[in-house]
Amino acid sequence: MTVTLIGGEMPLWSDLDATHGPAPAGGAALRPLLGAVFGRTLVAGPHDPELIAALPVDDVTVLVRSESDAAVLDRYAVLCGSLDKVPAVAAYDTVVALDGLDRLISAEAPDRSWDEVLSMVAALVRPGGRLLLAVENPFGLHRLVTLPGELSDADWVVAEGPGGPEVLRGRLAAAGLTVVHDFATYPDMRLSEGEVSPSQAGDRWTRDSLAGAPAAGGRRSLPAEISLLSDSFAKNRDLSGFVEARLSAAMTAAKDVLADPRRLATGAARAGLVSELAPGWIVLAGKGQAAEARTAIWPDAITVVDGAVREIRLPDPSLPRGRTLEDLLLTACRRRDLPAVRELLTAWLSGPAAGVPAGQIVVDAAGRHAGLTPAADPLVTLREFAADVIRGGYADLWPAPIGEAELTALLAGMTGRELEPADVPAAAGPRAAESVRELTTERDRLAKELAEARAKHEWYESMLRNREAELKRVRQINKVLKATMPGRAATSLYGGLRAGKRAVRGVVKKAKG
Amino acid sequence: MEFGVHHANHYYGHSHVLARYCGLDDEDPPRIQGYLQHGWNIGDGLAPDHEFTPGVPKFVWSERVRRRAWALGRREVYVTGAPWAYLVAMEPEPAGPREGTIFYPFHGWEGQHILGDHDVLIDEIRDTETGPVTICLYWQEFGDKKVRQRYERAGFRVICHGYRGGQWKDLDGAFLYRQLAEQRRHSRVASNRLCSAVFYGALAGCEPAVYGDPMRLEGEKSAFGGQARIEREWAPMHGKRVDVEAARAIAVQELGADRLLPPAELRRVFGWPMPRSVEDAELTGVLAR
Repeated sequence: MTVTLIGGEMPLWSDLDATHGPAPAGGAALRPLLGAVFGRTLVAGPHDPELIAALPVDDVTVLVRSESDAAVLDRYAVLCGSLDKVPAVAAYDTVVALDGLDRLISAEAPDRSWDEVLSMVAALVRPGGRLLLAVENPFGLHRLVTLPGELSDADWVVAEGPGGPEVLRGRLAAAGLTVVHDFATYPDMRLSEGEVSPSQAGDRWTRDSLAGAPAAGGRRSLPAEISLLSDSFAKNRDLSGFVEARLSAAMTAAKDVLADPRRLATGAARAGLVSELAPGWIVLAGKGQAAEARTAIWPDAITVVDGAVREIRLPDPSLPRGRTLEDLLLTACRRRDLPAVRELLTAWLSGPAAGVPAGQIVVDAAGRHAGLTPAADPLVTLREFAADVIRGGYADLWPAPIGEAELTALLAGMTGRELEPADVPAAAGPRAAESVRELTTERDRLAKELAEARAKHEWYESMLRNREAELKRVRQINKVLKATMPGRAATSLYGGLRAGKRAVRGVVKKAKG
Repeated sequence: MEFGVHHANHYYGHSHVLARYCGLDDEDPPRIQGYLQHGWNIGDGLAPDHEFTPGVPKFVWSERVRRRAWALGRREVYVTGAPWAYLVAMEPEPAGPREGTIFYPFHGWEGQHILGDHDVLIDEIRDTETGPVTICLYWQEFGDKKVRQRYERAGFRVICHGYRGGQWKDLDGAFLYRQLAEQRRHSRVASNRLCSAVFYGALAGCEPAVYGDPMRLEGEKSAFGGQARIEREWAPMHGKRVDVEAARAIAVQELGADRLLPPAELRRVFGWPMPRSVEDAELTGVLAR
């Protein structure tokens, strides 16, 4: 096909190779979204070539700002340059902007606000057409826990998008677009630079990748666990366990953070804030048309578990209903309800889901356990739970001092199982990321333990002094008693007995010999 | 003899009972790594003269005491339940009939003196109780011939459960066993002040009652609200005839009988060894939970 240089193109640049910013939109989780694509389609911004290849339409135009990316995608009609150079003609039935609006304007073009970019994109959609748009949440969980990072080459200007699902709807409405369906995405659909390992970053997009060359080891490290949840799905109380389990798996920290994002994500789910605090959103918006029957287009949720995509349409009887075991256990911990903790732990360790992390077990109304991930060594899993309890600040519930191995042994004891801390298996693998909050908790705990150990040491010292004084006193009494007549008699009697014992022993030895 | 963190841990043979529950040698219980509540009280569960070492856990009988202790600034407070509750769970109820009342006149401790009239109390007991009455005196009063004879002359049987022990000397591992055996022979337990013995009796199947002149200790201080608060807060335990079910439910709560720990957990929190790692441990009465 043709590459048209529309102006503002960037010669020494690539968005596809993820060296100047996050990897382009892609991955298995987005595939089910392509069902909404119809007619003449514009793919605006960098997208995984495999995702573009999966579009269910033939008439595809691609807009990229990088010349080299345009060359990679030249099997399509490519508009290479800055969005502001695209004629503002409503020429497309569908515009796919799943990479967001941040990489449509090139370095050659003047600065545009997020809303300005949106109105430019919206102008390209025909009446009755659709826009598939991804938006990063500037107030998302991932931002709340992140440590200060370095600016990337792509950050010559930063246009911040709307900070909430309702605000987003309002902005889209202002651009003439009505939201038909939306998902909260966990985690952020794009990985930041720091999360792409060097070997992967070095393996750039090439023509070969389009020609179907094998992707050894995966060219990019997309998260293996992704969840796209509609708001009604996330707020379905029956599904709270499933939702929390999915969010917790999706938010496992890959690098050092301010606080454990898993705890925040499950907390957000319990507070009904899944959409509000989502790292990002994906919306399907229609232009100038009545809202379509939403479930017909997109499912209620899309999950990627270990690379496998699942589309969920409610009511799905195969989904486990109930709360997670972790939720139940930590709720009992917060309530200081140790009998309940004992019961829950006993049910866990003697049930079918022993060895499955507590956060990946859904407990139904009848108390049955449904494990969502494969089981590992139950003691390793119990140790991980103990570590979570300590890092979560619940260690106060048990007598101090308490470390991971000690608490694991004690938790096992709560189920009636005998376990010595020395027999507790080591944690599985090195801890990937630390969080400032958990480190502070750990430091405070250790400082307290040290202070208490010192206080105890002093107490033992004074106890020892008392005992020594007591011993001295008793020895003196002994000495005095020995000097008395009955004392002397007792001493000689004792000596006689010992001599007799020796003699008997000698006789017995002789007899045996 | 190993020495506990605090000598009070061995009072009344408490650690002996718990050692047996844990499958350990109950003749010579190991040291408890912490302070164990040794009597029912309305404060933080521990005696007012208690010295605290930071980081040493406090083992209390009930959730209510734990909450109160926490509010009073205590930490590392762990609810284990009362040793009595473990003993009641371990000792099977005997088949024999129950008869009469066991009455515990309020006593002081070593060095305290009672202000009150034993004769008035004797009259009140006689007026109230229909069956035979056993008077259980604290060892101090039992040793006081005058006090003992006053109750004997009233026609009561007078007993003493024993010496509670102190400073690791003269420890009596059988104290609670004698008390339980006595209580289970009686259908009622009573005292002129609400105290451990009344709760013990309620848990051991006696109908509890608290009546009569509560007497006072010389120079008694009303820490934690004193006798007046006890009568207000634990009102259902007071009276010559009480609602037995309600009183028993309170006893279960106060003694933590509804939340006994499995032996494995108790061993871990006490810092006690596993039975198999102790030579010649006499394995007696471990509850399979």
